[in-house]
Amino acid sequence: MLKVKNLKKYFGGVKAVDGCSFEVKQGTITALIGPNGSGKTTVFNLISGILKEDSGKVIFDNIDITHFSPEAVSNIGISRLFQQTRLFNNLTVKENLLLALDNEDTKFWKNVFGFNKITKEKEEKIREMLNLVGMERFENKLAREFSYGQKRLVDLARTILNPHKLLMLDEPVAGVNPYLREEIAEILKTLKKQGEAVLLIEHDMNFTLKLADCIIVMGGGKIIAEGKPEEIKGNPKVLEAYLGE
Amino acid sequence: MIALQLLINGLIAGAIYALVATGFSLIYSVCKFVHFAHGATIAFSAYFLYFLFSILGLNFGFAVVLAIAFASLLGYGMNFFVYKQLRKRKASSVILLIASFALLIFFESLILLLFGADVKTIGFIKIAKGLEFFGAIITPLQIFIVAASFVLLGLLFLFMKKTKIGKAMRAVADNKEVAEVVGISSERIYDYVFIIGSAIAGIAAILVGLEQNLEPMMGTNLMIKGFSGAIIGGIGSVPGAILGAFLLGFAENFGIWFLPSGYKDAIAFIILFAFLLFRPQGILGIKKNE
Repeated sequence: MLKVKNLKKYFGGVKAVDGCSFEVKQGTITALIGPNGSGKTTVFNLISGILKEDSGKVIFDNIDITHFSPEAVSNIGISRLFQQTRLFNNLTVKENLLLALDNEDTKFWKNVFGFNKITKEKEEKIREMLNLVGMERFENKLAREFSYGQKRLVDLARTILNPHKLLMLDEPVAGVNPYLREEIAEILKTLKKQGEAVLLIEHDMNFTLKLADCIIVMGGGKIIAEGKPEEIKGNPKVLEAYLGE
Repeated sequence: MIALQLLINGLIAGAIYALVATGFSLIYSVCKFVHFAHGATIAFSAYFLYFLFSILGLNFGFAVVLAIAFASLLGYGMNFFVYKQLRKRKASSVILLIASFALLIFFESLILLLFGADVKTIGFIKIAKGLEFFGAIITPLQIFIVAASFVLLGLLFLFMKKTKIGKAMRAVADNKEVAEVVGISSERIYDYVFIIGSAIAGIAAILVGLEQNLEPMMGTNLMIKGFSGAIIGGIGSVPGAILGAFLLGFAENFGIWFLPSGYKDAIAFIILFAFLLFRPQGILGIKKNE
């Protein structure tokens, strides 16, 4: 589904991503792990079009999306959750989710003549998602009025609602309570069963090892190990990357 | 009696300033730069109406529709041919501001070249006897200006709140990066904002053109008032711009109760400076650190 080929991004002398190649298959959860500064989030930024690569390719569903803009990447079916929560702070929770739900509907005349109604079906979908993250009572509140944890939940709901085939989640359970972690894990498992792919960055190893089908370990901008969770657990290169020589 | 007359005069001035400030503020809030050439859109649209109606002799209703379409096209063209090209070259908002001044001067000079420096009159509405309202006088045209302004502002409010495109505009105004990540093209939204904001400028131009004479610098004068209204109300906030514009209209007109009418513009600037000094975020604006 997603193929990253020899991706490189240097910031001056810093090799943030240095020749990364990996694949995310349909119906799997792939985790990207590694110590801080290993280049995980830069890889996410390159895939989602926020940063432009120095070289390499990103192929999604057999389409070369290397030079796609962030909105084109989203519209082709890649939905992303940022490490730092980002919402439309001056819009209500419902409006935040609605904008993610049908991102193709900003056609001018369709809107001016009212052909793009907010249907009951869309409202129901939003309500279901808010129920799932326990925010159903707050749909008409402005996003800026929430605490960090609440914003995180809305952000996650928005990322899942955004039409996608691949979910890219950057630390989805950071700052989230244990009960909700289980809920999120269940949601991801359900999405996987439905044939979606998930690419995950997460520092919580229990969460990652329990959920991932494949783990890719990064260190110094390179991929240093790749395999099933049980293979990664005992890999000396991984321990070295985290603990140093 | 005088107070009521000044209140009515303030309402008329405020209604026109509000239309100017709304279009300007809409563009600023979404595109994040000061589009001073909005004044040129107003002036050129008013002259275009004069050209169609008074020179070519077209039907007035048809000429009005064409003038509004022309305003939208002019705004869209400025964005497409100038601002978009500069954004592609990673120009800062200061560069865009300078470009907007260049456009303003260019179009005002073009008006001078095409129509000359003398004032023009559209002359569709002949001077009518004012209606008496508790001792104050208001003409039917002035009632129409206030009513049209309120209807238009109400429609804009509904458009921004209820339609998906309005929500998308508010989303880009709020956080462009997030909007792009959820699949909204900020460039397409910029196009829409220029089309809608400039159409509002076109309507303001028509209303002003019916009430006053046309002169090449009329856009700059109106733009200064609209800009002041937008700052007083809270730069980047469309409801704030409307509030600020009406406040400015009332202050100017009530001010001349105590001062000679020549000080009208000075009153507007005193209020503007007072806000910049004591409440720079304006009435409805949010402080940067909040």
